[in-house]
Amino acid sequence: MKNIHIIPILLLFSLCNCEKVVDVEVPSIEPKLVIDASFEVFFDENPVSAKTDIKLKLSADYFEETIPVVTDASVFITDLSSRTIFNYEDSNADGTYTTSQSFIPLENNNYELTVIYNNETYKATSKRIKSTPLTRVEQGNQTLFSGEETEIKLYFSDDGTVDNYYIFDFSNSLYLALEDRFFNGAEYSFSNFYQEDDIELPATVTIKMSGVSKEYYTYFNILIDQSGQDAGGPFESVPSSLLGNIINTTNEDNFPLGYFQISESDTFTIDLEQR
Amino acid sequence: MKKLLIFFIFFSTGLYSQEKITISGTVYENTSNETLIGVSVYIPELNAGTSTNEYGFYSLTLPKGKYTVQISYLGFITIKEQIKLTTNITKNFKLNEEAESLGEIVIQSDIEKLNVRTPQMSVNKLSSATIKKIPVVLGEADIIKSLLLLPGVTSAGEGASGFNVRGGAADQNLILLDEAIVFNSSHLFGFFSVFNPDVIKDVKLYKGGIPAKFGGRLSSVLDIYQKEGNSKDFNITGGIGLVSSRLLVEGPIEEEKSSFVVAGRASYAHLFLPLFNNDNKAYFYDLNSKINYRFNDRNNVFLSTYFGKDVFGVNESFVNDYGNTVLNLRWNHLFSDKIFSNLSLIYSDYFYGLTLDFVGFEWDSGITNFNLKYDFKNYLNDQFTLSYGINNIYSKFNPGEIVPNREDSGIQPEKLIDKYANEFAAYLSAEQRISEKLTFEYGLRYSNFSRLGQDEINSYENNNPVIYNEEFKRYESAEAIGINTYKRSDVLASFQNFEPRFSLSYLVNEESSVKMSYNRMVQYLHLLSNTSSPTPLDIWTPSGQFVKPQKLDQFAVGYFKSIKNGDYSLETEAFYKDIQNRIDYINGANLVANNEIETVILNGQARAYGLEVLVKKNEGDFTGWFAYTWSKSEQQTPGRTENEPGINSGEWYSTPFDKTHDFSLNGSYELSKKWTFNANFLFQTGQPTNYPVGQYEISGLNVPIYDDNRRNADRLPAYHRLDISATLTPEKNKNRTWQGEWVFGIYNVYGRQNAASINFRQNRETRRNEAVQTSIFGLVPSVTYNFKF
Repeated sequence: MKNIHIIPILLLFSLCNCEKVVDVEVPSIEPKLVIDASFEVFFDENPVSAKTDIKLKLSADYFEETIPVVTDASVFITDLSSRTIFNYEDSNADGTYTTSQSFIPLENNNYELTVIYNNETYKATSKRIKSTPLTRVEQGNQTLFSGEETEIKLYFSDDGTVDNYYIFDFSNSLYLALEDRFFNGAEYSFSNFYQEDDIELPATVTIKMSGVSKEYYTYFNILIDQSGQDAGGPFESVPSSLLGNIINTTNEDNFPLGYFQISESDTFTIDLEQR
Repeated sequence: MKKLLIFFIFFSTGLYSQEKITISGTVYENTSNETLIGVSVYIPELNAGTSTNEYGFYSLTLPKGKYTVQISYLGFITIKEQIKLTTNITKNFKLNEEAESLGEIVIQSDIEKLNVRTPQMSVNKLSSATIKKIPVVLGEADIIKSLLLLPGVTSAGEGASGFNVRGGAADQNLILLDEAIVFNSSHLFGFFSVFNPDVIKDVKLYKGGIPAKFGGRLSSVLDIYQKEGNSKDFNITGGIGLVSSRLLVEGPIEEEKSSFVVAGRASYAHLFLPLFNNDNKAYFYDLNSKINYRFNDRNNVFLSTYFGKDVFGVNESFVNDYGNTVLNLRWNHLFSDKIFSNLSLIYSDYFYGLTLDFVGFEWDSGITNFNLKYDFKNYLNDQFTLSYGINNIYSKFNPGEIVPNREDSGIQPEKLIDKYANEFAAYLSAEQRISEKLTFEYGLRYSNFSRLGQDEINSYENNNPVIYNEEFKRYESAEAIGINTYKRSDVLASFQNFEPRFSLSYLVNEESSVKMSYNRMVQYLHLLSNTSSPTPLDIWTPSGQFVKPQKLDQFAVGYFKSIKNGDYSLETEAFYKDIQNRIDYINGANLVANNEIETVILNGQARAYGLEVLVKKNEGDFTGWFAYTWSKSEQQTPGRTENEPGINSGEWYSTPFDKTHDFSLNGSYELSKKWTFNANFLFQTGQPTNYPVGQYEISGLNVPIYDDNRRNADRLPAYHRLDISATLTPEKNKNRTWQGEWVFGIYNVYGRQNAASINFRQNRETRRNEAVQTSIFGLVPSVTYNFKF
């Protein structure tokens, strides 16, 4: 819903063809720790599997070309019910930390993330959020403004007993955040469009649907917005800082960026053809 | 209260001046019999005078005697007439346009004198002739774009809706079309304004010293009057332009008694969109109509309507339409030759609709209001004029309704809770000449706003809809602890305010004066928008338990000088504004389809101050003006407790419409009867924006980091451009029944790529971060053909 009103404006903006890259001097700040701990439990697979890796990086000046990774942190997850600790290692020294233990986050269990870096301790807790499987995904024939878009139609049935928040990953870093407010409990389908330059057809893409918390939905919506997926213009909302759910328990003011969240996810792979 | 007392003392003294005689009447334009607004009626012997009101009426009460009455109006031939006043008389005048009297020597005197004398300051007037000459993008004459050339008026940029007056927000302008409130002033998201220039008679913008007659918005009043229509002859005027075509038909229903005017304007369908080979549409249209009937010199009735709409669509998958509707019935009545009254009954609404087939829904939202106004003006004597009246506005707000647009959509209908409010106001205001040199205008407006019962309204713990999460250092929406249901007749919250208005002018000498003013304004409606300029979807919300009314105090002081008998004029003003209860929003606030809007609003304050200079050349082959404004516009949203940071750590930050320097130059040169040239140049400090302080990567997205402690701390590059136009009036016009005119224009002559915004993003191919500037118009040539017959 949120950015729907941007669409007509985009339409006008695209007419004048007057975008240009400019040189701008931007301010800078001390690098901050960025914790990307987004776990996915593939609940509809047999056996159930999970993606539980954690990426640690630093923030950088805006026009910096490389983003430094953090390889010397100690990272672990604590199951707050059983007090089991899952230790994480950065075995490839690329900032991606994995655990060698078998770890599939359980329902109704709280998990705590601990990262110790530069003698400062960062903590966050999260729990697994329920989702629903993608019934099917189809390629459609509709187009939007340019006539060159590729439509995909997604079908799923929403759980009517709770408020659901979803994030759809369309591959190529294309995301959509959706709440079930207007289709709670419905057999719902909607269309999404790949722009001409989003994808080169024919292609095989994997669509992922994840159930997330309301807080993460709000967070991710702003994240999509700020990453520039929606072009701005004078109608863009005032940008603001975006803090996740991780806190620095040693030094409150040196807050980290990123989020710790556990979602249930389901994927659907589809071959898209040129039409 | 003291002030009220003084009021009545003067009021009663007025009543006892039996020796005096009243001359009153209406001033018309001779060829069309249109009434003229703001015509100076001046008695040189007494150095006394008045000017015609919005309906062309004047009234002067003078001692018995023989006088010269001088009727003058810019662009018209001055009438001087000897009059012997022995009994009360009604005298109507008919003015002839200057241009129609070829070769005659026109005496232009005393026109500006009353301007210097009247205490009203901070007002800019534009005639429809001036507006039509100003070169604008794509050749479409435009009121709002013309206003931007005046001091103290800016906009968020090309293609941005609304305008900002003296550092005020766009929702703080009261826009009146024939006394009816217009909520959205833009077509095509701000490229054009909704006012058809052909049908406009008079435009007045009050930036300060706002009379007690007006209320409900803080920053300005844009008071627009439409033509009544030629009551002598049938006339057709029109124009064919690149974007739209216009047609106006006017004529008598009963000669010199009753007339009508109908004006329509429509852009070409598929405007802009031939670029795409789809079944797209994008167009706007508007229709103005007005009928008036003059029963006699004492009674006059007007019925006017406005209807405007914008439509955008792509196939059937996306349709967006929005527009204003205004219906207005007015009755002018003279209770005596001293008491003029106008009763208005007004219905106005704004509608926004959206259909998104690929998501499967239709959305509509809007605002409807019923407005009753009864205004009186009592011309007691040549020293004292009293205005008073009442105003009641009942409003219904539809924040949105969503319905499935097809059977299989899966969308469930949802109606956001409608909101209701009533605003009542009464005012009393006097203009009084204390001495030859000193004139006062003072008044008081009382306003009473009631937020009426709605079907459901949330309650919150400690009555606090926004909570600060100290752990994650952010503001969050509180969860409702209960839902209350009310009847429509219940009052959920009510506010009352006294709004004093005061201005004075002191005549230094015949050519110059010093003026001062103070006004308090209260605004009970808020436009919910967290973008730098309004969008058509922006939603109005009334004050209530959680959102307090905005309050403004403005002080202004100015020096005014008329040079060479009004050939030139100089106006300088300094102003200071202080605004209480200006809202801002918590980070990530969702303003659309939000039933609990109170949970994302933070309360703050705002202030603005500045200096304006306007130099005008009013007469001659070359006319024009130079305007410069230096100003500052800031906002502060402090934390509610010591542990809360507020916005920008509670420090003052620039509003999105803060423009330090604003410079404009407008010139018009009449080379011959055939050719007229026009040019304008604008320079403005770039508008405040936010640059990222860093970047990071998460979930494969590259995201800029913004620092909440430097809100609006960066600036877009300066905005400047030059526009020119030439008007060709072919000579053969004289010998035929119809007249034509070509207007050639070039907007942005040197093709300056002005930044509408700078966005930060990662280039999809190079994977490098870049700053991308979006500009809207480069050099745009245009040609328009206007005709009249």
